Amino acid sequence: MDTSSPAAFVNGGLLRMHVGRKVRTVIQVTRSDAGSVMGKSTDGCQLVVRGSPPAPLTSYVEVIGVAENENSIRAELWTNFGDSFDASNYDQLCQLANGELKHLFL
Amino acid sequence: MPVNLTCNAIAMMNSGDVNSKPLVQVVDIKLIGNSQERYRFLLSDSESTQHAMLATQLNEQVRTGRVKKGSIIQLIDYICSTVQNRRIIVVLNMETIIPEYEIIGNPKLPTGSEPEANKSMPNNNLLEPSTRSTNNRYSAPAPANKAQSFQPTIQPAYQPPPNYKIQGPIMKNEAPARIIPIAALNPYQGRWAIKARVTAKGDLRRYNNARGDGKVFSFDLLDSDGGEIRVTCFNAVVDRFYNVIEVGKVYLISKGSLKPAQKNFNHLKNEWEIFLESNSTVELCPDEDGSIPRQQFSFRPITEIESAENNSILDVIGIVISVNPSVPILRKNGMETQRRILNLKDASGKSVELTLWGDFCNKEGQKLQEMVDSGLFPVLAVKAGKVNDFNGKSIGTISSTQLFIDPDCPEAQGLRAWFESGGRNTASISISKELMPGGSKNEIRKTLTQIKDEGLGRSDKPDWVTAKATVVFIKTDNFCYTACPLMIGDRQCNKKVTQSGNKRWLCDRCNQEFEECDYRYLLQVQIQDHTGLTWVTAFQEAGEEILGCSAKEMYLLKYELQDDTRFGEIIRSRLFHQYLFRLKIKEELYGDEQRVKITVVKVDKVNYSAESRYLLDMVTKNFPNRKQF
Repeated sequence: MDTSSPAAFVNGGLLRMHVGRKVRTVIQVTRSDAGSVMGKSTDGCQLVVRGSPPAPLTSYVEVIGVAENENSIRAELWTNFGDSFDASNYDQLCQLANGELKHLFL
Repeated sequence: MPVNLTCNAIAMMNSGDVNSKPLVQVVDIKLIGNSQERYRFLLSDSESTQHAMLATQLNEQVRTGRVKKGSIIQLIDYICSTVQNRRIIVVLNMETIIPEYEIIGNPKLPTGSEPEANKSMPNNNLLEPSTRSTNNRYSAPAPANKAQSFQPTIQPAYQPPPNYKIQGPIMKNEAPARIIPIAALNPYQGRWAIKARVTAKGDLRRYNNARGDGKVFSFDLLDSDGGEIRVTCFNAVVDRFYNVIEVGKVYLISKGSLKPAQKNFNHLKNEWEIFLESNSTVELCPDEDGSIPRQQFSFRPITEIESAENNSILDVIGIVISVNPSVPILRKNGMETQRRILNLKDASGKSVELTLWGDFCNKEGQKLQEMVDSGLFPVLAVKAGKVNDFNGKSIGTISSTQLFIDPDCPEAQGLRAWFESGGRNTASISISKELMPGGSKNEIRKTLTQIKDEGLGRSDKPDWVTAKATVVFIKTDNFCYTACPLMIGDRQCNKKVTQSGNKRWLCDRCNQEFEECDYRYLLQVQIQDHTGLTWVTAFQEAGEEILGCSAKEMYLLKYELQDDTRFGEIIRSRLFHQYLFRLKIKEELYGDEQRVKITVVKVDKVNYSAESRYLLDMVTKNFPNRKQF
């Protein structure tokens, strides 16, 4: 397992803490174009993900890539997460991974 | 302040005066009697003393100290009788006037010999005709046992002054004994009479013991004060009264003996039971006495039955919401009987299962079935049902149970009104289902090693826990058994059946043979989590969830088609799946040793969303500054 460049779990609010670094997040797709996808993060923020999404795209998708700024990511890896997903659980995970349990992650 | 006790009260009482309501002092109180609590007073009128027994309904007054040594009391209701040549007064009702007082006068304590009332008393069956009021009491000591032959010694209550000679014709006093409440009956009672309605009549039973053959029957009485008592007749007495006694009619009964009630069979609230003798009288009272109720109930709401003791006897009333057909049941003694299961619901929001046995199935049970089938919901009152705690709490009928369909009593009317105005549609929780504590809200989650470490299953009730674990091994020998497919009421028999002849199966319980048997899982499975592993047993429903197909299919595959390859593939494909197992853990005796047996009651696939929430909760709940997410 390649652990050389781990991606930090982020939601909309936590993205700004990792600008320029590798991040991962799940968004609910609101709009999908040729070169980018707009979606809602698990804490309700609007994010833009640049890159080529898979076709077809499910409602929820996980993206792993580099944070460009506080509301956009340049995606390297896309994974369809299906049409039903528990956003609040994921959001809580992001907060723990950046807060009390940070030492267990990166 | 000076107190004047009634002058010569003792002499007056001893000579039969029961009307004077004298003021006397209690010089001594003794607790006597080996099986029951009986108090004996020594009463004084400041000069003479006399022993008096306190009727048991007044025992409370001594226990609470309302009457004690030195108390000045007024005797309101009392009778005099002679027991073993001694005059004894029985106090039925009294009032404590002054609870504490120094002993008045110089009362002469009894020396143990006959008091003066017996001065010139002939000691045989002579009776003075009474010209007094009918309140004169004639004493008759209670016969000691049924097989006795001695005549009760009857002595006149009123002592004539010495200058009268005992002469003249001997006449028996036919004056009727005074009617007293059933609650006042006791063995020390002189002549008594009770007027009561028959609420239950038992069957005529024949028996055979060391003394030979005999027959017996009992009936229960209820009087206008709500007092109840059982009356029993043996042998020749049965012949006299069996056809006379009818349920619902009122009788005047006198001259029976009083003995302690047999609590195993007699569930009435009375410490005594009446035994009728050859000289007992039972007179039908034809006038409808409205003061005596037809039945006395003390209904418990179904919700209270949930906490009632196993084998306790109680009354219950409810709306019949379902009736199952009658099924034959083989009892332990080899006799066959009928059983029917019904469900009753009441306003407490709970419902209970009622099991009818024997004749109840064909009589009331059949009637109720017909009523429910035609869309009615009758009210059923049960008197003297027995609580059973095998599966939650349920009620069963016993020989002395009585069932009343749509009785005319206020509780029935109240229940009917509740049912019609919404009760019909309110869901009720059955107290007769095996308790599985905790739904999804408060289930107890344990890891597999916690089961052993915490000694679960060792107390007298099983432990119910949930564990998340993975199936790692399924035993393929004896994974199922041949089961009886016949229905007993609303449940399938499921007893293991044996082969009889070729290709036929026999069930011992249903006592029937059939071609096709059912196959049900009896799986031994090994499950594992991050802490350890353990063996569990899974029955039909859990087995089907784990293997993903029916026991019958697996049986046919292995034994009929003998396709071990396919069989093995299926088993392997079911390994390493993770589930939430609901487990029942109980220690049981296997031969000599105690072993903890774990049964899978339910198998649920893991719901990742819910499980994640559970885990997140576990992670965060021990944080020092708990953040609200």
